[in-house]
Amino acid sequence: MYQDLTPEKIGLKEWSKQFRMVGDSEIKEFKYYNNDEWGIYLSPPATFMVYGTRQLKKLKFDNSLAALRLWGFTFNESERLFRARQSGKRIIAAMGDLGTVPVIAMAFPDCIPFYPDCTWWTPFFNESTVLLDKASELGTPEASCFVRSTLAAFHKMAYFPKPDIMFASTGASCDDYSCIMQMAEEMGYELNWLEIPFRRQHRSFHMSEEHAVTDSGFKYPKRFETYLVNEYKRVWRKMEALTGTGDLKKLNASIEKNNRVRRLVNDIKDLTQTADVAPFPALEMMVIEFGNLYGYADIDEWLDILKMIKDTVADRVEKGIGILPSDAVPLAWVTPTADPLLLNIVEDLGGRVVATEYVINQALTIIEEDIEPFQALARSFMNASLIGSTEERVRQIAGSVDSGKIAGVIITNMLGCSHCAMETRLIEEKLKNVPVLAIDVPAPLGITEQLKTRITAFIEMLR
Amino acid sequence: MNDILTSRERFGLLVIDEKPDRCNIMPLITSHAATVKGMKVRDYYTNGENMARAQIAAIDKYEHDAISIFSEVGIIAEAMGSEFEYPENDLPIQRTPALEKKDIEEIKIPSPTCDARLPVYLEAIEYAYDALGDRVPILTYIPAPFTTAMMLSDPNKFLIQTIKESSRVESIVDRSLAAAIELCYHVIDAGGLPIIVDPLASSSVVSPKTYRQYALPSERKLVDFLHRYDLDVILHICGDTSPILDVLPQTHADLISIDRVNMQQAIDKLSSAVRIIGNYDTSRLAFSTPDDIKAEVRNMVEGALHAKQGYIAATGCEVPIKAPEENVMAFVDSVKEVGWYWV
Repeated sequence: MYQDLTPEKIGLKEWSKQFRMVGDSEIKEFKYYNNDEWGIYLSPPATFMVYGTRQLKKLKFDNSLAALRLWGFTFNESERLFRARQSGKRIIAAMGDLGTVPVIAMAFPDCIPFYPDCTWWTPFFNESTVLLDKASELGTPEASCFVRSTLAAFHKMAYFPKPDIMFASTGASCDDYSCIMQMAEEMGYELNWLEIPFRRQHRSFHMSEEHAVTDSGFKYPKRFETYLVNEYKRVWRKMEALTGTGDLKKLNASIEKNNRVRRLVNDIKDLTQTADVAPFPALEMMVIEFGNLYGYADIDEWLDILKMIKDTVADRVEKGIGILPSDAVPLAWVTPTADPLLLNIVEDLGGRVVATEYVINQALTIIEEDIEPFQALARSFMNASLIGSTEERVRQIAGSVDSGKIAGVIITNMLGCSHCAMETRLIEEKLKNVPVLAIDVPAPLGITEQLKTRITAFIEMLR
Repeated sequence: MNDILTSRERFGLLVIDEKPDRCNIMPLITSHAATVKGMKVRDYYTNGENMARAQIAAIDKYEHDAISIFSEVGIIAEAMGSEFEYPENDLPIQRTPALEKKDIEEIKIPSPTCDARLPVYLEAIEYAYDALGDRVPILTYIPAPFTTAMMLSDPNKFLIQTIKESSRVESIVDRSLAAAIELCYHVIDAGGLPIIVDPLASSSVVSPKTYRQYALPSERKLVDFLHRYDLDVILHICGDTSPILDVLPQTHADLISIDRVNMQQAIDKLSSAVRIIGNYDTSRLAFSTPDDIKAEVRNMVEGALHAKQGYIAATGCEVPIKAPEENVMAFVDSVKEVGWYWV
């Protein structure tokens, strides 16, 4: 039986050496869709590197078996989606809403939701411009967000199978991605659009309206809830038409299962962010947070992985051990980085991420289980990061600043993402009580020594 | 039609049982790459950067679907003590097998980072991976244990030993297996996908009985080791393998590369279990004309394209060092004319 070693972050070659100690039976123990033939996924980073995920040569990973499982599972997702289709499951593409449509899709038998949007990480993990170049060729401007790589993936059909049905969010959604989705539609993909309302700030002309308040304390006109309920019911009807089934009890069960994921992730985040010594790396934590969107296309296996991670983290916290020095400088990270290497670099240079705002607040909140399910989904979604004001988005980070948890804030702005470019400066302005470092995430392979020097100087200044 | 996918994407789909835009084209362009680059063959196999640059030049010229890091099958045996001489414009020639000077117990498991030309391979993989690894698979040929065992020995003595001294042969093969595994560890960490080559296990060299007794178990152990990494394993055996086609799936290889075998027979016997790679006659590449090659390759591809588990168009053996470039180009072009799945 494999025993975890003293926690540390290790590189690909070290993981390969450590992997020699993993027994054949342990490798066979973990499998997606419970399939013995092709569902086994516990591989060292080197495996995925051999198949072209080039950044794995540079990244450092947590050395626990739980982390190995996490990486094996997430890097296996593309294959998993193809295997899902081969085994008769339906592939549901959710786009833009980040967290709610999959909860509905999971209420239908053998339906596997996923987010094509997440292809935006692929050019960075692969250290490759293949997708970005193809996207430019297909008509997206180079000055648009890296999420344009998704368009190339739609063209190539090699990163995920052609979905059986696609739901695309528009309205108060990412504007660059809205364009990408429209271009995908022009390619011949049939999209089902749903509109996301903008969560207006509380203003006097709304005073006469009935309002509600989200878990995160955001106020919104109650009619938005009704609007979203109707949108989600449209999604439900489309899914009914696709599958020939529809049982609202299964939607309740899906909500309950997704809440289990969300609670586990909240627990892991709490443990990780509040421990004296960082028990788990920021990179793995970002992957964990984003798993809330759709459970990486096998939510049951993902739940099991999360339990293992929580046990690993809890054990480390109890023993007071971790992967960073105890004097690492506590930071908040705002907006997820497209280039995962930046999270490694910030930790290597003395930082520690203890708070995050990765634009997926809606996927982190617990969905109410004691009210009508569509209303619960709508109310949960009204917590979304990107549908309201910058002030609301920053509020939670500001709260952590005020409580003294955070010494500084790093914002990773996406070069070419119009939304991020505009909002980064606003966030900086609103976080007046704490030093802020705004980084324009460069294109793949674009991290320079100059950028590292800026990060070094920032952390030294905080120290 | 124009390619939609990169070679990397194309191979990636094949190994998860999906049809790519067109079939993969992987002629075994190994030392022939030196000719393409205009370098001496010796400069190719003694310098990793040269090997990689030549391979990249070949990819640029032919636009086929794989880098092939390889020169000859003696590379592990050399690192274990067999001696070779290096002709300027030909592949290394074995001078003294290690077991002519030492006992098997004295032969050490080589270190791929420092023994003989194994570092050349690793350097070549690293270089090619940095240059093209996001677009093209970096296949790295690993001599199989049985082949290495014979390269450690006087071949005549070794073949007699397979009949009279099985325990000795087994111990040589076991040691060769350990050396192959050690090399694989490093190849994988460098970014290479190991492809097992066992030319001396061919039915042109040994009997099916000898194959089953020595080569097959060691191939299977090496394949199983690579399966721990969840890698898709290619096994290539040169020459005639018709008599052992039935047992090749027992190696557990995911893709089997064949040479002098009737393709239809191979499809009938193998294609429900493994993906098939092959098998254009390389002597035709050396001595035929582009038009003839195009017609023959077209026939081959049309017959094999829809093999149940998938098909890779390839040559049956290595492209001859001095094969005319227009002939190799004709091979690739012909597959690109008829090898489409997405139409």
